[in-house]
Amino acid sequence: MSVIARGPLPGGRVPRVRQRAGRWSPTRAALGVNAWFVYAFFYAPIALLVVFSFSADRNVGRWGGFTLGWYEDFIRNESVQDAIWVSVRVALLSTVISVVLGTLAALAIERFRFRGRQTFDALLYLPIIIPDVTMAVMMLLFFSEFFDLLNLLFDADLRKGFASITVSHIAFNISFVSVVVRARLAGMDRRLEEAAMDLYASRWKAFRHVTLPQIAPGVAGGALLALTLSLDDVVVTQFAAGPGATTLPVYVFGLIRRGVTPLINSVSVVMLVASIGLVILSLFVQRSRSGSAAGPQGVPAANRARRST
Amino acid sequence: MTDPVPAVTITGITKRFGDVTAVDDIDLEIGDGEFFALLGPSGCGKTTTLRMIAGLDFPTMGSLQIFGDEVGTLPPNKRPVNTVFQAYALFPHMNVADNVAFGLKMQKVERAERDRRVAEAVGLVQLGGMESRRPNQLSGGQQQRVALARALVNRPKVLLLDEPLGALDLKLRQEMQLELKALQREVGITFVFVTHDQEEALTMSDRIAVMHEGRLLQVGTPEEIYQRPANRFVADFIGRTNLLEATVASSEEVVLSNGMRVAAASEHPTGTKVAVSLRPEQAFLYRRGAAPAGWPTIDGVLREVTYVGNALVHTVAVDWITIEVRTPYRSTETTPEVGDEVSVSWEPGGVTVVGD
Repeated sequence: MSVIARGPLPGGRVPRVRQRAGRWSPTRAALGVNAWFVYAFFYAPIALLVVFSFSADRNVGRWGGFTLGWYEDFIRNESVQDAIWVSVRVALLSTVISVVLGTLAALAIERFRFRGRQTFDALLYLPIIIPDVTMAVMMLLFFSEFFDLLNLLFDADLRKGFASITVSHIAFNISFVSVVVRARLAGMDRRLEEAAMDLYASRWKAFRHVTLPQIAPGVAGGALLALTLSLDDVVVTQFAAGPGATTLPVYVFGLIRRGVTPLINSVSVVMLVASIGLVILSLFVQRSRSGSAAGPQGVPAANRARRST
Repeated sequence: MTDPVPAVTITGITKRFGDVTAVDDIDLEIGDGEFFALLGPSGCGKTTTLRMIAGLDFPTMGSLQIFGDEVGTLPPNKRPVNTVFQAYALFPHMNVADNVAFGLKMQKVERAERDRRVAEAVGLVQLGGMESRRPNQLSGGQQQRVALARALVNRPKVLLLDEPLGALDLKLRQEMQLELKALQREVGITFVFVTHDQEEALTMSDRIAVMHEGRLLQVGTPEEIYQRPANRFVADFIGRTNLLEATVASSEEVVLSNGMRVAAASEHPTGTKVAVSLRPEQAFLYRRGAAPAGWPTIDGVLREVTYVGNALVHTVAVDWITIEVRTPYRSTETTPEVGDEVSVSWEPGGVTVVGD
């Protein structure tokens, strides 16, 4: 009987349990206020940014009437567009390469026993642990010395630019990708691979038909993380970039030093819209796959890994 | 074995993991068409032995042949055997039909042939109509059947089963025991299965190999293993038994630790410390003094009576040990009560001498 009584009553009355849940209490009120406060803290700056990107005043923080002028500036400004183009290319290229290398590294550490495995394991995490600035200075030194050497040896004319930015992004992205992929691999039953090999699959086929589909959400998560980190990075890029090419975040950073105009706001809004679009796209992709096998470890795991750094 | 070429021939196989010897120099022949059990407690090396036959582990030394071909170092995909894994290891991202078809796809079996054989295998394990389900939409028993179909569809020469029924509840397990046996008769290939459940091994297998700490203790039919255990461990592990400490007096007689002389044949030299194995169902309980004349008898006091449905288990305390006696239960019979003075007796020759 008690089971029946718990459902909605025939008269359409709301069950008692729910009434109780809606009752006012100081704790609930405080938590509610806190939630609104947190949201305001997150989103008020974004709202301000968007609003002031339409302000006609040359000062960033002063309202001077509505204009689309800064967006026109943005569209006409070739150096901004170059920077965006560099950013996108660097992000895509470094993501693809670091996803492949990071996944391979994760597989090597999770699946094989070899000499120096633990050292390799520890070294792989280093880029996550060491400060960005340190990494940046290392990159600067490395590329200066390395390019000097190459130029000397082969009489070439290598300079820092697109290639050096991409390589440095790959260098830190590998670590993040392999962390995410490893989490997924560790949760996977090893016997699945054994079963595949028992069923006449070669190592490669076992990987392609069993392991890869199982870790795909992890790989996708790692790729998204790598893409975001690459698009976001300022410090390392700043040091690894040369006069030839620079990414959007570094360019915006440079704008600030030269004197701020609401052009920054419009650039930022465009970046914001682009990244929101990316997030929606990735959610959409995850949703359409989750009907099949995608586990809960894709994007959330990536976010967790990222936040912990 | 009647067949000249055994399905599996294991000669001097040893497997070490670092300092640990998992399998220690075992020799074993498994005949064609046999239902063969590798039985032992966990960590005895039975699963490692199975994995070596499958090719998932490689022996440290020794020779391993399948139908006469040396396969010791061949990878699993090059061996004519398939495995039903513990907890099944079904591919979660594939439906039943794709799981079953996997082995055929890997062997590049033609599409039409593949579809036909998958349908046949799915029918064999009575899963028709479930082809498009995913493993997580199946019950434990159904997953078990998929695992069987996935292996059998490849027509292996030997089917290996790693604790195939371990994940099922008791009722389903007993059903599946009979079904597996029927299935094996139907497909007519050699089944080698690993279990720690002696009852399962006794029920299902043609022959059993008992393993302990990496060594092979005894190989034989269920009856041989049960009636003539090779040593103390086997006697104790297979079924329940009372082990009475004894010393060999001659090839026909042993002396129990209370000085009683018991007729029991043994091949151990005189003076060897042995144990006499008295099965609870081979022992009879009498009121003190009522035991048949000429039967070996030990006096004691009834300490406990446990009703187990079809039988009564009596625990009798004698001077130096307690003895378990199992008596078929009949509601019309009056039996001794706790505290009564009783005698435990057995037919001459109803005990087995086991060494260490």
